[in-house]
Amino acid sequence: MTEPASASRLQLIENLDLKAAGPLRSELLSLRHTPLDIDASNVQRLGGLCLQVLMSAQATWAADTIPFAISSPSPAFQEALSLFGAEDLQPFVQQG
Amino acid sequence: MDPLEAIKVTFFQECEEQLSELESGLLAMEQGETDSETVNAVFRAVHSIKGGAGAFSLEPLVRFAHVFETTLDDVRAGKLAPDNNVVKVMLRAADVLADHVRAARDGGVVEEARSQELASALEALNGEAPLAPIASEDFDDMPGLEFTPLTVSDDDGIGDDFGFTPLAAGIIELEPEGPALRRWTVHLRPKNALYAKANETGLLLRELKRLGDIQVSIDPADLPGLAELEPEHAYLSWTIVLTTDRSQSDIQEVFEFVDGDCDLTITADDVPSSLPAMGEASIDEPFDVMALIQQAQADVQAAPAAAIMAEILAPAAPAPVFAASAPSIPVPVAATAAAAGVAPDAAHGAAAQQATIRVDLDRVDRLIDLVGELVINQAMLAQRVTESGVPRSSNIAMGLDDLEHLTREIQDSVMAIRAQPVKSVFQRMPRLVREVAAMTGKQVRLVTEGEGTEVDKTVIERLTDPITHMIRNAIDHGLERPEVRVAAGKGPEGTVRLSAAHRSGRIVIEVSDDGKGIDRPRVRQIAIDKGLIEVDSNLSDEDVDNLIFMPGFSTASSVSDISGRGVGMDVVKRSIQGLGGRIAITSRPGQGSTFTLSLPLTLAVLDGMVVSVCDHTLVAPLTAIIESLQPKAQDVRAIGPDAYVIAIRDTYTPLIDVGAVLGYRTTPLDPTKGVALLVEGEGGARAALMVDAIQGQRQVVIKSLEANYRQVEGIAAATILGDGRVALILDVDNVVAARRREKARSDAKLAAAG
Repeated sequence: MTEPASASRLQLIENLDLKAAGPLRSELLSLRHTPLDIDASNVQRLGGLCLQVLMSAQATWAADTIPFAISSPSPAFQEALSLFGAEDLQPFVQQG
Repeated sequence: MDPLEAIKVTFFQECEEQLSELESGLLAMEQGETDSETVNAVFRAVHSIKGGAGAFSLEPLVRFAHVFETTLDDVRAGKLAPDNNVVKVMLRAADVLADHVRAARDGGVVEEARSQELASALEALNGEAPLAPIASEDFDDMPGLEFTPLTVSDDDGIGDDFGFTPLAAGIIELEPEGPALRRWTVHLRPKNALYAKANETGLLLRELKRLGDIQVSIDPADLPGLAELEPEHAYLSWTIVLTTDRSQSDIQEVFEFVDGDCDLTITADDVPSSLPAMGEASIDEPFDVMALIQQAQADVQAAPAAAIMAEILAPAAPAPVFAASAPSIPVPVAATAAAAGVAPDAAHGAAAQQATIRVDLDRVDRLIDLVGELVINQAMLAQRVTESGVPRSSNIAMGLDDLEHLTREIQDSVMAIRAQPVKSVFQRMPRLVREVAAMTGKQVRLVTEGEGTEVDKTVIERLTDPITHMIRNAIDHGLERPEVRVAAGKGPEGTVRLSAAHRSGRIVIEVSDDGKGIDRPRVRQIAIDKGLIEVDSNLSDEDVDNLIFMPGFSTASSVSDISGRGVGMDVVKRSIQGLGGRIAITSRPGQGSTFTLSLPLTLAVLDGMVVSVCDHTLVAPLTAIIESLQPKAQDVRAIGPDAYVIAIRDTYTPLIDVGAVLGYRTTPLDPTKGVALLVEGEGGARAALMVDAIQGQRQVVIKSLEANYRQVEGIAAATILGDGRVALILDVDNVVAARRREKARSDAKLAAAG
């Protein structure tokens, strides 16, 4: 399995509503097998479908044993995760 | 029209339906029908309006509907007894709600003071005033002001923080029994459809959070790897532990708009004793319950109803989730109400029944026009065939008979599309009565009968004004003030009766009151003062009563707010006549008056008798004709130089020469050479119309003469006959009246000469 030296960064868009789920999944898929650092600083809204994509991505990366992180979460993103009770993602969220 | 606008239009149409449901429900409650079905129907109506209005951010409407709904909820929960007083306030609130809907639709605002007054009145009803303190002090939770995410898509910018500022603290729904906190476990498994319909789990969770304290845990067990994941499918499910003082129905309400799009169970962690114990017997027969639900829902919007219906049925229905405090059994429920645990397909079942479509009226009218042409064409074809000498027993003639039968059936069916119950007109009247009663300080009860009577839509549309006016008149002029009534030995409350019925191919509408009746001496005096009649005219009681229909007559000595709007009974009469109808009045002093309207069921076709007058073909409406006869010389008496009467079974009836009235001839027809049609005009006055000959009876399609030419005295409309010629349709009443007027004029001339 190839392991590029540097982690890929993915900037999440502002509005992760149901229409964003498809594109987000494709984007994440294209970055598969690379260590991933997801920037959630812009997120204003997180819907259930995008949450699924993120959770699935986290599980997939975990299965691939490749680093996965979500950094600089916006307050809205944090709030949404706790609203959804998305404990599975919490450990990967890094403040800062 | 952009899609949102179109949805809005539909919303307002549905609002109208809900408003009429609301009104009829409240009126039923006023009559003492306070069973849960009625109360729920009323609640549902207000709730649906609020839900839709919330989605369109029609804030004043939402605010008012919310206050209304809160009060109704108390009635529903049995906290507030729907006594007469309460229902009266609600009826007025329904009027204001209707105003709000109209203001939202047509622009404009509802008078704030009025809205506010009713809102306060409603709040005052909400149990024992707001004495229970707001326990949590947590205003952010604002439990009474939930926002229902009906069609709010996730990206429309309205967002979750969209809340309504309360008018006053009193609006906040207070639980009188105090903050009985309970724990509920909600299992939520969205289906793909939930997201497909632009609903959002996040919003549901947020709604729940508003109800109380929530702990959410997510179950990702079904979540596939990213490669296998369908981005628009729903994989996650949630378990929410909610601690709240709100009722189960409040929790269910959160999920009202995702009906059937998620599997949902709501279980109380501790079953309170107040809930009825659930037997297990009924579990075996869930289909009866389904049938019940479907039946009850047949004419109700499926979505909001489902939850409520399930709730109503809860005590009777099997409720596995409530069967003791056992762990919940997840039941996939279409209706969000897991409590009922019934009818997975209730919503679908309801949708399958009584499907209706909204059709542009233009299309129906065009169809009716075309069918009219078809009828004419068929008649022409039949005539051609007859003229060509084909024997009646031939295949062609028999085929034509079948065609005629079929055409007639098509015509009836098409007409039935346009037929509507008069309910839509009648339903506006209670409000009018309330308003007029309030303005005049009279006590009025409106009784309506025969609301289901169907009549053509055009007739219905043009009925509202005359009926409105007659009811106003009945209250303003007919009914007495309460003290006067009591002095006269009547109850203080007057009754206005509005009824509709089908009678011999026409619709008969009666407006009657039990008031003082027509004040004949006064009517007579006014008519004399206004120069409408001669001082020494010898008039029968009936004639005097009919004076009020004369142009320029108005009995109210002081022009009141109510009746004095420049519209007299003469206008009513004219508009009824414009519909091909008749109006008659009967009045008994001290006992009240009755106005009777008789109208054709449709304005499109007419059964007529085809007659000839001086080589012209005319059609006389069959409904007006009582009989036809050949006058004998000894039965005809001349009175005056050119007026005749005919003795028919010992009564003398004026004999009217149609040809002379219409100006076809100047020398009168010899009565013995023609045929007399005995007709009954308005008010039952009879006359015999002289025509040359009768050709036969036929159904004719009415073509407006006014629209194509202009109004002609004595002629109601025109039609096209089988041979393609135009025939005029007689306006029987007008012909009779024209003869009378002529006679009156010649009498006057004689009087002047003498």
